[in-house]
Amino acid sequence: MAGFLLQLLADGLVTGIGIGLVAISFTLYYATTGTFHVAHAGLYTLGAYMAWWLTTMSVPFALACIAAAAICLLAGLLVQVLVYDRLDRTDASPLAKLIASLGVLYVLQNLVAILFSPDLLQFPTAWRGGVIQLGEVYLSYAQLVVAGSGLVIFAALMAFTRLTMAGTRIRAVASNPFLAEITQLRPHRVYLMVMAIASAIVAVAGAAIGFDQAIQPYTGILVLLVATIAVIAGGIGSITGAFVISIFLSVLQNATLVVLPGRWSIALTFALFIAFIVIRPRGLFAHR
Amino acid sequence: MSFFLSYLILSAIFAILALSTNLLVGLVGIFSVSQAAIFGVGAYIVAGLTMHSVMPFLPALVVAMAVCAVLNVLLALPSLRVAGDYFVVTSFGSQLVATALFINLVFLTGGASGLSGIPAPEILCWKAVLPWQIAILSIAALAFVSLMFWLMMRSPFGKLINAVRLDENAVRAAGKGVRSTKLVVAAISGTFAAIAGGLYGVHLSYIDPVSFDIHVSILILAMMVFGGARTLAGSILGPLVLLALPQLLNLIQLPSTSIGPVRQLIYGLLLVLFMLFRPQGLLGKKI
Repeated sequence: MAGFLLQLLADGLVTGIGIGLVAISFTLYYATTGTFHVAHAGLYTLGAYMAWWLTTMSVPFALACIAAAAICLLAGLLVQVLVYDRLDRTDASPLAKLIASLGVLYVLQNLVAILFSPDLLQFPTAWRGGVIQLGEVYLSYAQLVVAGSGLVIFAALMAFTRLTMAGTRIRAVASNPFLAEITQLRPHRVYLMVMAIASAIVAVAGAAIGFDQAIQPYTGILVLLVATIAVIAGGIGSITGAFVISIFLSVLQNATLVVLPGRWSIALTFALFIAFIVIRPRGLFAHR
Repeated sequence: MSFFLSYLILSAIFAILALSTNLLVGLVGIFSVSQAAIFGVGAYIVAGLTMHSVMPFLPALVVAMAVCAVLNVLLALPSLRVAGDYFVVTSFGSQLVATALFINLVFLTGGASGLSGIPAPEILCWKAVLPWQIAILSIAALAFVSLMFWLMMRSPFGKLINAVRLDENAVRAAGKGVRSTKLVVAAISGTFAAIAGGLYGVHLSYIDPVSFDIHVSILILAMMVFGGARTLAGSILGPLVLLALPQLLNLIQLPSTSIGPVRQLIYGLLLVLFMLFRPQGLLGKKI
C-alpha cells in the first residue's frame, strides 16, 4: 500500500513538472502581454504531433523535440504577427482577442486531427518503456525525460529572466507597458520574444508529456486549464509560483486517486480553484 | 422533407442558444464557453422528468428554466469577483466539469450512452409527435425568446445593460447596480438555454453527453460571432448558415474520420477571421 501511494505521488510529481512547463510558458506570455493566450494549448498540441511525426520517420526523439520547438516557435510568431498584433492595431477588446485566440486553438487542434488522426497515438520509440527502480518507486525512461527536461527548462527560464538584459526588459514591459513604450523599450519586440520563448517551451512540454503518456488532438485545453489554475494560484507573473503549484496540483490529483475515482479529478481541481479565487484572488506568490 | 424540417428545428434551437450566449458575451461582455453545459442541464431535466412521467412537458420545461437560471447565475458569480481573464478559466472549468458530470452521474444521465426514448411533448391536449409539429413548437419557442430579447433591448433595462458594458463606473455613479444587472442577464440567459435544451431532447428523443460538450459551446459562440453581437437577426442568421455548412461539406468527399475535425476547423477559422476583419459579424455591432 505504501509503495502504491509512493508510486502515485512520484507519477504525480513527474506529470506536474510537465504541466509546470505549460504553466511557466503561459505566465511568461500572459504577464508580459496581458493577452489570455488560449491558443497556447494549440501550440502544445502542435508540438506533440510534430515531435511524434518526426519520430515515426525515425528521427531521434531529442532531435524531434528540438525541431518541434522550432516549428512551434515559428507558428507562435505567426499567431502573434497575424492575429494579436493586428488586433492590437485595430484596438480590439480583450473579449475579441480571446475569441480570436480560441479560434486559433480550434484551427490548430483540428489541423493535427485532420493531418494525423483524431485518435490516441503512441510514440514509436522503443526505449521509452524502459524502467529504473528507486526504492519502491518505478520510473519509466519517458518519465525521466519529462522530469529532466522540465527541471532544466525551468532553471534556464529563471536564469534568463533574472540574469540577462533581455529578461530585465521582459519584466519591465510586464510591469508597465506604457512606460516601456515611452522609454523606447519597444514592447512590440518584447512581445515577439516572449511569444517565441513560450511557444518553444510549450512544444517541448507537449512532446515530453505525449512521449510519456500518449497524444490526442483535444487534450491540450485540459492541460492548459490546470496550468492556468496554477498560474493564477501562484500569482500572475510568478514563474516559480506557477511551477510549484502545477506540481502541487498534479500530486494532489494523484493522491486523491486513493479515495476518489480518477474521473472526478477535474472536478476536484476546479473546486479547489473556485475556493482559491474566492479566498485569495491575488495568488500565493504574488508580489505586486 | 423531414431532413429539411430537422434542419429548421435545429436552427431554431441553436438560434435560441445563440441569443442566450449573445446576452452574456455580446451584451454584458461576460466571456462564456459553458453555454452548452446549461443547455445540457435543461435537456437532461426535461428528459428525466417527462420520461419518468413526473410531469408533462411544459411544467418540466419551467422547472428546467428555473434550475438553469439559478445555475447560470452561480456560474456567472465568479465573473463579478474576479477579473475578466480569470473568468475564462472558470468558464472552461464549468464546461469540463459539467461534461464529467453528464458522463459520470449514470443514474441521472444514463452516462456516456445517454438517455433514449424521450416522450413526445404534450402541451395541454396537443401532442407534438410528427416532425412538422415539433418544428412549429420550436419556431414558436424561438419567436417567444426573440420577442423577450427584443422587448428587453428596447426597455429601460436594455439601456442599463448597454451602460454596464460601456462604463461600469458611470452606472454605479448613477446609483444603479452593476452586479444585479449582470446577474439578471445571466438568469435570463439561463432560461433561454433551458428552453433550447428541452426542445433538443424532444426533437431527437435521445440525448448524450457529446451533444453538450465544449465543442458545442464553441459552435454556439461561432454562430453568435458570425451573425454579430447584440442583434436579434444575427443570432438567427448564424445558426441557419453554420448548420447548413455540414451539408455543403457532404458535397466534397471527405474520409468519415475527418468530417468532424474539418467542420470544427472551419468554425475556428470563422472565429479568427471575423475577429480580425469583421468583429461586428454580418449584422451586429463590434464585440
